[in-house]
Amino acid sequence: MAGRDAQSVPWFAEERPQAVLADGARLDGRSFEEFRSVFLKTGVISQASGSAYAEFGRTKVMVGVYGPRQSDRRQGYSERGRLACDVKLATFATRQRGIFGQSQEEREHSAAMQTALEAAANLDSFPKATVDVYCLVLEAGGSELAVAITAAALALADAGIELFDLVSACSVSRVEGSLLLDPSADETHREDGGLLLAMMPTVNEVTQLVSRGQWSGAELKDGLELAMGGCAQLDAAARQCLREAAAAAAAKQAAEDGAAAAQPAAA
Amino acid sequence: MASPLLSGSEVQWISAGVGFNCRNDGRARDEYRPLEVELGVLAQATGSARVRLGETDVIVGVKAEIGSPDPDRPNCGRLNFAVECSPVASPAFRGRGGDELSGELARALERSMYPGPSGRGGGLDLSVLSIVTGKTCWVVYVDVLLLNIGGNLHDAVSVAAKAALADARIPRVEVVPGEDPTDEPDYEVDDDPSQAQRLDTAGLPLCVTVSQIGRHCVVDLTTEEELCSSASLQVAVNSSGAVCGLTKRRQQGLDPSVMLEMVEVAQRAAAKLHAALADTLAAQQAQQMAVG
Amino acid sequence: MGRRRSAAAQPRQPLPSQAMSAAAAAAAPGGSEALQAEAFQRLYPDQYLAKFVAQGVRPDGRPLALPRATSIGLGVVTTADASALVKIGSTTVLAGAKCEVMPASADEPDKGRLVVQVEMAPLCSAECRPGRPSEAAQALGEQLGALMEGAGVVDRRQLCIDAGKAAWAVYLDLYVLDADGSLYDACLLAALATLASLRLHAVTVDDAGRIHKAGEDGAAAAPAAVAQQRPGSQQQGAAPPLRSLQLDCQPVSLTCGVYRGQLLVDPTAEEEPLLEALLTATVDEQGDVLGFYKAGGSATASQQRVLECIEAAKMRGKEVRGLLQQALEAAGVADGGAVAAGS
Repeated sequence: MAGRDAQSVPWFAEERPQAVLADGARLDGRSFEEFRSVFLKTGVISQASGSAYAEFGRTKVMVGVYGPRQSDRRQGYSERGRLACDVKLATFATRQRGIFGQSQEEREHSAAMQTALEAAANLDSFPKATVDVYCLVLEAGGSELAVAITAAALALADAGIELFDLVSACSVSRVEGSLLLDPSADETHREDGGLLLAMMPTVNEVTQLVSRGQWSGAELKDGLELAMGGCAQLDAAARQCLREAAAAAAAKQAAEDGAAAAQPAAA
Repeated sequence: MASPLLSGSEVQWISAGVGFNCRNDGRARDEYRPLEVELGVLAQATGSARVRLGETDVIVGVKAEIGSPDPDRPNCGRLNFAVECSPVASPAFRGRGGDELSGELARALERSMYPGPSGRGGGLDLSVLSIVTGKTCWVVYVDVLLLNIGGNLHDAVSVAAKAALADARIPRVEVVPGEDPTDEPDYEVDDDPSQAQRLDTAGLPLCVTVSQIGRHCVVDLTTEEELCSSASLQVAVNSSGAVCGLTKRRQQGLDPSVMLEMVEVAQRAAAKLHAALADTLAAQQAQQMAVG
Repeated sequence: MGRRRSAAAQPRQPLPSQAMSAAAAAAAPGGSEALQAEAFQRLYPDQYLAKFVAQGVRPDGRPLALPRATSIGLGVVTTADASALVKIGSTTVLAGAKCEVMPASADEPDKGRLVVQVEMAPLCSAECRPGRPSEAAQALGEQLGALMEGAGVVDRRQLCIDAGKAAWAVYLDLYVLDADGSLYDACLLAALATLASLRLHAVTVDDAGRIHKAGEDGAAAAPAAVAQQRPGSQQQGAAPPLRSLQLDCQPVSLTCGVYRGQLLVDPTAEEEPLLEALLTATVDEQGDVLGFYKAGGSATASQQRVLECIEAAKMRGKEVRGLLQQALEAAGVADGGAVAAGS
């Protein structure tokens, strides 16, 4: 009995809010250019080469990186390394229960993430090998793909893959003419148009841009500027997270060396 | 996809040609290859079109069936896009080989033509496809078949899809209520082609792929030129110049100012493409009216 | 030749830790011993473990009979009707339950449905790949489902809305996020915690098949307002529109391994391939055995080992039920279990 039975019907105790902008302010009290509360942590999966967990408000994403490891035989020889991305939403992550297999949207997210990260990774440093980036969205509270890309870049850094720069990504939604940064799921549901931008802020290169809905040239420029500002903010937060992780690892190593020096190992 | 192998000198030759604004076939950087559109190629389908853009050959068939609407949008019909990469185009498409490419093309079409999650922002007004609100509507299946790969698939596919939808003739449906008010109403489908309704495709966008070769933005690449490009942007633009969907493909990063420039190039190219397609469609439809 | 063979048998290790330890070895003089120990573990994992077990400890410092530190977090995913995150050492499992309404089935008109599925996310271990669920995940799912049915953890009559017309279908999905041994224990605990914290809305189904909240609009509006203020926690059980599930029993399992005649409780993923046999015992609150599982392995388990394992499982059960009770109270959710957890 796998997957959703065709007979059962979802029922929600609360309906989605009809309007997400009340008197020109967002429902959760943020300004139009404010992120939700951001939490980033690396090294959360003990089995993976590198991993990261990101929580932006109600969006929770976990990424695990394995590799570089041997490429699949079917993929053939390649002088450059390969990056394989896989994005999956947990069945309970969305309001309505999802299916167990991979839906079209997930395949598209995987392709978008691959384009976003490939420009940043130094693929020549692991020829003939593949780095697998597996992403699982535990709760989809809005802008899942943007959060996933940011977390994936952190996980790649945690795994020690050479990167030209950290990639950070954010989404912008246009609701009733106003541009909202880092929209929640309710805001995305009511948008006229949206865009996702992934860029490498220090090198100032855009690695991925996906837009939905109609945008005029001027609106697109405004949206891009807002998103680029958001990415710069995220970049600072991501670098801080990596610095803290490195400091913690160094402290742990120093403590272990101290303990080892005190008692010689019996091995 | 069995892509031709290019030597380093060929890549240099193509890049230099782009720099001189004279490509291998003599086109300028922002010129499209000659576009041939043929309507009504499949007699059994509700609407169909065949598009040849240089070497690229695409056939689209549109079929309308009665189905139930989306629970989120009970007063709208539905649109389903499916792309098949025929093994005729390349032996690599045997079996499941072409799944990735076809999925990519189908999703790109869907994103540009279908309204977003809020129901707004779509190119096609789907409420005309509704028969009984909340219960029945027309479900339009757009099936694309790739016959030959000559580069620039996205553009050819979007032109073909728009042309086929313009050609589609949805039969008129009469809802006959049953004797009992709680009974399921009866549907009478009118087979008369002259009574059929046509879809208003004026708002549908066309996709333009702008790529970067060296330091220049180029439009409508052939297969060889695609192998030389490092980054490309797919922009879906509608006839009034608004951008309906944007996706970046390929590995290289893009400078933001270059990206905005590419969007402008795409908007200019799309205007020309829309004009060319509108002319062809008008001519073909006038021909059909004269014959039929 | 022997070195190459054992190199093939070793578990995959992340590269950067080797790089980091090499760097540390270069930096600090005491670090070279750590590097030697790690190299020894990679090349001769069996002898490495044997040296520890001979001293009565494990590589991570635990005595042989001590399970790892366990933690339970409830209500972590707000889009799910109930969720639980269980960590046993590094093994992490996230369970989420979603409720849907289904028409009552013809052969069991007064019972609802409980569907348990386990997925080992590709990020949990180097052996997992995206695509079809692996055999390990399917085996876990079947074991769990069989236990839920056989032990009668949830009486499905509670899931009925309207006998013969409609009932709840509860889909319990478990995702293994980090596979570091004892997956079955973690999955069972996560499933149990989720079901214990699940709240069912009181609904009615009218003749046209539409679903309404039971009670007037005032009673229905109040829980909605509360939910918006406190998105993370479960709703207070004071409002009648919500009722919790009664669990008939609370099964807790413990996995032990047999290694050179000794019983290793709660093995990690490093130790598992070296064990001769793997035993899993599931016991309920009274100490009765609900399930015992020993699949193959290169050694048999003597009666003494089996009894040792069951005893260890009983003690573990007390500890874990206490933790679960604490977690339920901390989440502000009244205990739904029938029997008071022994502590």
